[in-house]
Amino acid sequence: MAGKRRLSWFHVAAVVIALFIALPLYWLIASSFKGAGDITSAAAFPPHPSGANYVSAFSGYSFGTYLANSAIVSVATTAAVLCLGTLAGYALGRLPLRGKTAVMTALLMISLFPTIAVVAPLYLLMRDIGWLNSYQGLILAYTALMLPFAIWILRNYFLGIPREMEEVAYLDGASPLRTVVSVILPQALPGLFTAGIFTFVASCTEFIVALSLNSADRYRTIPVGIALFGGQFTTPYGTIFAASAVAMLPIAILVLVFRRAVVSGLTAGAVKG
Amino acid sequence: MAANTLERRAARRGWVFASPALLVVGAVMIFPVIFSVVMSLSNVTVTGNGIGLSGITGANYSVLVHAPRYWHAVEFTVAYTACTVTVETVLGTVIALVLERLQAGRGWMMALMLLPWTLITVVSAELWGYIYNGVYGVLDAITQAFGGQGLNVLGTPASAAVAMGVADIWKTTPFVAIMVLAGLVMLPDDVTEAARVDGAGAWTIFWRIRLPLLRPALAVAVMFRILQAFGLFDLPYVLTQGGPGTSTESLALLGYRVLFNDLDFGPGAAVAASTALIVLVVCLAFLKVFRAQVGEQKG
Amino acid sequence: MRFISPRLIPVAALATCLATATVGCSSSGSTTAAGAAQSPGGQAKGTITWYANQFGPTTTDVRKTLIAAFEKANPGITVNLEQAPSDSDTFRSSLETQIAGGSSSFDVYNGDVVWPAQFGKAGLAQPLDSYFPASYWSRFSPGLVSSLTYQGKVMAVPIFTDNAFLFYRKDLLAKAHLPVPTTWQQLQSEAATLQKDHLVKYGFAAQFDAYEGLTCDWTEFAADAGASSVNPAGTTATIDSPQAVQALDFMRGLITSGVAPSATTTFQEQQSESLFTSGQVAFLRNWTYAYADSNGSGSKVAGEVGITNLPTFAGQSGPGYSVTGGWNLYLNPHSKDIPAAVAFMTWMGGTQAQTIIAEQGGEIPTVASVLHDPTVQAANPAFPIAAKNKLNARPSFVAGYSKVSEAIYTNINAALTGSVSPQSALSAASQQIGSALSNTGL
Repeated sequence: MAGKRRLSWFHVAAVVIALFIALPLYWLIASSFKGAGDITSAAAFPPHPSGANYVSAFSGYSFGTYLANSAIVSVATTAAVLCLGTLAGYALGRLPLRGKTAVMTALLMISLFPTIAVVAPLYLLMRDIGWLNSYQGLILAYTALMLPFAIWILRNYFLGIPREMEEVAYLDGASPLRTVVSVILPQALPGLFTAGIFTFVASCTEFIVALSLNSADRYRTIPVGIALFGGQFTTPYGTIFAASAVAMLPIAILVLVFRRAVVSGLTAGAVKG
Repeated sequence: MAANTLERRAARRGWVFASPALLVVGAVMIFPVIFSVVMSLSNVTVTGNGIGLSGITGANYSVLVHAPRYWHAVEFTVAYTACTVTVETVLGTVIALVLERLQAGRGWMMALMLLPWTLITVVSAELWGYIYNGVYGVLDAITQAFGGQGLNVLGTPASAAVAMGVADIWKTTPFVAIMVLAGLVMLPDDVTEAARVDGAGAWTIFWRIRLPLLRPALAVAVMFRILQAFGLFDLPYVLTQGGPGTSTESLALLGYRVLFNDLDFGPGAAVAASTALIVLVVCLAFLKVFRAQVGEQKG
Repeated sequence: MRFISPRLIPVAALATCLATATVGCSSSGSTTAAGAAQSPGGQAKGTITWYANQFGPTTTDVRKTLIAAFEKANPGITVNLEQAPSDSDTFRSSLETQIAGGSSSFDVYNGDVVWPAQFGKAGLAQPLDSYFPASYWSRFSPGLVSSLTYQGKVMAVPIFTDNAFLFYRKDLLAKAHLPVPTTWQQLQSEAATLQKDHLVKYGFAAQFDAYEGLTCDWTEFAADAGASSVNPAGTTATIDSPQAVQALDFMRGLITSGVAPSATTTFQEQQSESLFTSGQVAFLRNWTYAYADSNGSGSKVAGEVGITNLPTFAGQSGPGYSVTGGWNLYLNPHSKDIPAAVAFMTWMGGTQAQTIIAEQGGEIPTVASVLHDPTVQAANPAFPIAAKNKLNARPSFVAGYSKVSEAIYTNINAALTGSVSPQSALSAASQQIGSALSNTGL
């Protein structure tokens, strides 16, 4: 009897949550199939469904280019952040550095400075390096913007790993780098997945820095691309939603296909002796 | 003696490991941050040839302090942050608990949950604006179908703020949920088992045992959510334009308007710098309250 | 093992950054302001970039038509189109960052009609007097030219102007046997009648959201009542007046009486237009584009849309005021090919370009002779109506106009939502406009 009761609050909660998340998403996708004249329709299904918005997103605007650019920038940024962040997080979490508190606080302070104020000087900086309208400029900017958070997460995970691991590896004669890679990292997999997902999503959805640094069409990312849809007086909801549905698709597919890996990655820490 | 050398070597290694990341962050961000702070303390003129700074003055900050609009933005942003972060933390923890226990369909649930978060913030704001529209939005239609009057949520200050909060919570709760979930699964089972064997109920186990152990994970999640919530920009920009009037004008929106609409880089930088200061104070206070260790952690 | 002392690392980073900062703060690349004055239509050659948002119909890109026609007439010059953000404020912020940062990635850019003073003061647009002969400007109306001028220098070439009109449902008026209203009060009562007879859901829609569009709508209503927001010299706020209260009371009355939906305070052009084209509202105040749009393929009321001048308040003469909108072409001070850019700008203010903009773009041309051309007038029923419009301008001649506009739209919007009383909204607006004009305050 007790088992059944516990099942029901938990199931109810799961269903309510799923509905809360899914309904607006459904509305997004349904509305992406509405023609221009049906945009004011609040019917549950679009009255005259058509794929015209999807066509216009790709043919009227170079959405394919924007998708590719976002993919390149996001993957590169995530890789950079994970590499640099893991090393730094490990160092700040487990090695006896002096001034750790200061460094963590400084990282926090840098990441809490409002981006809108930072955009103009960042533009000047990239202009002086000569990396405006390029992949490397945006990747560098994003890496710098997202490292603080990744370091905080990763450091936390490294803190939670028992000290004995390193000592055992040291006694076994492993080099410090080897210790990190083969012994510590697998234990901190949840942290890596978390930091990785966050960085990837943040890079795909960041707007204002991308708008300022990569304003040329060749290097635009998805958020900037979508901002160009329409004209002065028209916000083409249908096309915007269509483009966003397409942009969501890769991540959705990735997570679905690799859901076992993601779940086990996040739950890897549970498998402990 | 040997231990000391070992320790020094380890410290050296630490700096070698940490330097690349710190260098990247420093090289890219220190100039803009310092430049902004310096701008906030100078007379700034924006010209086609660049940003000219002259003198050191507190005038920009004085303008802010004497502007009721600035203080309103501060109050609104602080209140908004407090409410949304609290709701997100509770909701995110609930979701994480549900996910943790879910056996079948966990992968699907996680994929679903991540979707709102992968939406571009501007698009999410447009979606909610479309949902909230006072004449042809679906929310209005649903209310009318149930016999109510039309629903113009964005037309009054209080409801507009709540509507913005709901849109924000919808989009960012997955963030908190994933952080908490990852923290939950790293909790050692033995303590929980021992408590259960001792006869503790589910609620007691959660509240007294697991929650305290979740502190570090929660602390990071909440802290960075506070940071992001303080930077609230896209939602008011797209959804309410800071309206009705200026009732939902956040600090970031005010800063944007002063910087880019008015080309007032001095006061604009002051808005940004003061925002950073407020957030820093809040975060440090929060860390102290949560007693999350920033230094060495035992075990 | 040699290594860098940990203490030195932050110092080195700081030093690098300070070095970059010194470079960053200093003047950007060479300004080509000293480009020789080139007679328009001279043998300019080169490739230039036009940074513009989309205007005109959404089905065809009139910008590409213009570029094709220009390149045919000027074989030596190629024009690349760079798509700009569609939102005016986002577009402006991207322009400011790039131009202040010394970017030469575009040579000419579209800009709003209210930007000349602001951009002129900040040096974000190149003054044009040394590149165009004085006679060039006589093709535009004097009011238009003065709106482009900052401190005696012309800052832009106007490429199209925008007017506001009253759009109405011919079929509904016919069914209820009502004439086309000529006063606001008449409009309100006719709309109420239509709603009462259940012929239409809402009576009137306009743009009352807290943004620049509200400043336009407000300027029209206020001028109809005999009020203004700023005095002609640009030194004092005049918005706190009995006439302004009358106008604001009327606008608020439209909402409280149910003629305009309360959601009107969240409407920009897009929402008000959608409401009209879906057949849910009888009267609409909107810009020129709405005529073609509401009679187009996506509209449920195509063929039933009438267009006329805006009404005024009872007791005033003539049609109601229409605010002038539109877009100008500005020259980037850092352009590397000013002669070619000037050639393009000159051509855009010429008869051929203006005719294309009028006939295919559906926008009101700025060149008077083109607007009065019978062929052009026949192309768009809005044009003959536009010729009868009583025009008014927003106080954009003050350099701090953006702050003035913010003071107007935030307070008017607050009054229209009922958050504050009209009188207190106008007092607050007056005080804020005052600080904006004297350059004090936030």
